[in-house]
Amino acid sequence: MSFYLECKKMKRTGLVPAFFCGGLLAAAVPVLNMAFRSEMYLGLDAPPIQILMEANWQMMSMLNILLVTAGACLMYHTEYADNAIQRICTLPAKESRLFLGKSAFLFLMCAVILAVEAAGMAFCIFHWFGHFGGLWSVFKSFGYAFLLMLPAVFGSLWIASACRNLWVSLGISVVCIFTATLLPVKNFALSLFFFAMPFQILADTPPQAARRFMIAAVAELLVIAAGELIFLKLRRSFT
Amino acid sequence: MNFFSLIRIEAKKLRRSKILWILAAAAFLLWLPSVLNSHLNFEMQAEGISPEHNFLIQGLLGMSWFLFPAGMVVSTVLLNLTEETNHGILKMLALPVRPARLCLAKFVILAVLAAIQILISVGMYFAGGAIASYTQDYPLLLPPLFVLREAGLIYLAAIPMLSIFWLLSVCIRTPIFSIGVGLASIVPSVLIINTKAWFVYPCSYPLFVITAEYGKLAANLNTAPVELVPWLPAAAGITLLCLFISCLCFGRGR
Amino acid sequence: MYMIETKNLTKSYADFTAVAGISLHIPKGAVYGFLGPNGAGKSTTMKMFLGLTAPTGGSFRIGGKQFPRDRMRILKETGSFIEAPAFYGNLTGEENLDIVRRILGLPKSAVSEALELVGLSAHRHRPARTYSLGMKQRLGLASALIGRPPILILDEPTNGLDPVGIHEIRTLIRSLPERFGCTVLVSSHLLSEIELMADRIGILNHGHLLFEGTLDELKFNAASQGFPTDNLEETFLALIESDNLQRGGAR
Repeated sequence: MSFYLECKKMKRTGLVPAFFCGGLLAAAVPVLNMAFRSEMYLGLDAPPIQILMEANWQMMSMLNILLVTAGACLMYHTEYADNAIQRICTLPAKESRLFLGKSAFLFLMCAVILAVEAAGMAFCIFHWFGHFGGLWSVFKSFGYAFLLMLPAVFGSLWIASACRNLWVSLGISVVCIFTATLLPVKNFALSLFFFAMPFQILADTPPQAARRFMIAAVAELLVIAAGELIFLKLRRSFT
Repeated sequence: MNFFSLIRIEAKKLRRSKILWILAAAAFLLWLPSVLNSHLNFEMQAEGISPEHNFLIQGLLGMSWFLFPAGMVVSTVLLNLTEETNHGILKMLALPVRPARLCLAKFVILAVLAAIQILISVGMYFAGGAIASYTQDYPLLLPPLFVLREAGLIYLAAIPMLSIFWLLSVCIRTPIFSIGVGLASIVPSVLIINTKAWFVYPCSYPLFVITAEYGKLAANLNTAPVELVPWLPAAAGITLLCLFISCLCFGRGR
Repeated sequence: MYMIETKNLTKSYADFTAVAGISLHIPKGAVYGFLGPNGAGKSTTMKMFLGLTAPTGGSFRIGGKQFPRDRMRILKETGSFIEAPAFYGNLTGEENLDIVRRILGLPKSAVSEALELVGLSAHRHRPARTYSLGMKQRLGLASALIGRPPILILDEPTNGLDPVGIHEIRTLIRSLPERFGCTVLVSSHLLSEIELMADRIGILNHGHLLFEGTLDELKFNAASQGFPTDNLEETFLALIESDNLQRGGAR
């Protein structure tokens, strides 16, 4: 029910169209890149998905993370703007369920934008590489990308729930995203920062390392969720 | 009421907004990796750039590509929400102040915040550079005038970008779209500076200028130089157009 | 039997005490008027009842349930309106109430009923951010009244309403114990309204409970202390002034 209510609350905020447009914009990146610079990539000796992801994923994942962050900050802004969160707190509804409901909504939005981007990639593979068997590799890559994006969703929502003012949560998130862009992608420990994980590419990663990243993503989800619950309890105790 | 008094009033509205803390945190995180990885500055023989120049340029590249523009998007959100919350804007529009003047005053505040972010970053550069110089036993700090010149170039080049961000925040009433478009416009800069039409994309100006400076300081690196024509006319035209439309549209939705 | 009962309830902050050891007794089925000047601690007390702020001392029971152990059960049975209307500006009045309805597990008809009660049916399809102050206030009240909760906590419910609206809401609040078996705790600055609505009153000043009882008991007490008793306003002002003088002239 929390998920249904969170979907209702997003009416007339423009969030869903914004996510869809963001997904289309990110999907256009590999298409435009191939349209203008296909000669750079067609001659390379690697699977098409690896070539395309290495060439485009940094920019695509940057757009995705910015979208998720803006969405998370805005979702909590609608709660704080007219003090609706106070009303919710006086109902038999836990703030933690609010967090989980919003997470579920953002998970869905991430799935939508990644599906659109996957379609863009599949089109590039089909059109330029003439590769009819590339769909499974696209599916695996984007499934991996989805799992690794989930900690960033939780992390953005945690930051947004902690700050009443939209510019503070957005500012902190933007600083964290910048920090993530500075971390070396190949360093496992540093890449575990939840804003850095979405930059990982499955095609570029040895299977064992990919498994470790996936386990780490699930572990981070649990840690961040626990952190949020503790934070909400502490905040309630100190007000 | 004269324009300077209006600017002072707009500046007062930023009290207790914590924006300076956010800009300071951004500046700290900008230079922290440079200090931690300061040993890498001595491995730039292929590019032909000195360690001290590389230390400065790498930080300025990170700032001009993402952190500075993103900081300005956050600042536009601050300026707008300060008025929207508790309907302060209704009070302002009901006072004998022309909306266009109010709009320009707010833009001046945005420009001031941009200057503050750059100055804080310069301050953090000197602090970080001092630490890195000590750890590497090598003077990594450049003369203040040189550093301020480079920072000044970023600032001047960013004014058209600020006018675009301000236009977006005034004209697009739906916050997710104004924030989303602003942040999304930052991402393609790194590609656009490699095209001939870079001058029509103001969000890429600071990065282009610093990349050109990088090219001047690195003997073995070829980067496109800054050609004042058609850049300056395009920049001036875009800035004036954006400010004009912003002044026209400011407060209209009310 | 008391529906709301507090025992030395206290709320202290770092530099001052907002509520100082008050013991309230609100009988079942009564309309209890909570009076006090600005900053007396009325809203803070109500926030403690709803768990929006944690007490620093004392305890309270609502409907026989202990806070914080039974907080969720208390909230399920308590309708509230605190300080200012709280809503989602991007949703219509109806949509805002529908969210509350679903959380409380009420039938769909509860939304229309609540809108009818406060006279907002004609504007149900407009986004709440386009409402006038009075309409936002009515929306907040509808949100408190939805599902006819047995306990109502209302903080200045007639703020921003026109005289007709004030009369409507006052009549509604007055009728709630009889119609729906509600117990109502209502705070207001409009002493004339409280005089017409309340069965019992409590007077707070600087966090201290100066008086609790019926209006007749207040008149008797005031007369015995030499205070004016012609109307509630004069008695109230005299009581507050006397208390302030005792505290060393603090306002």
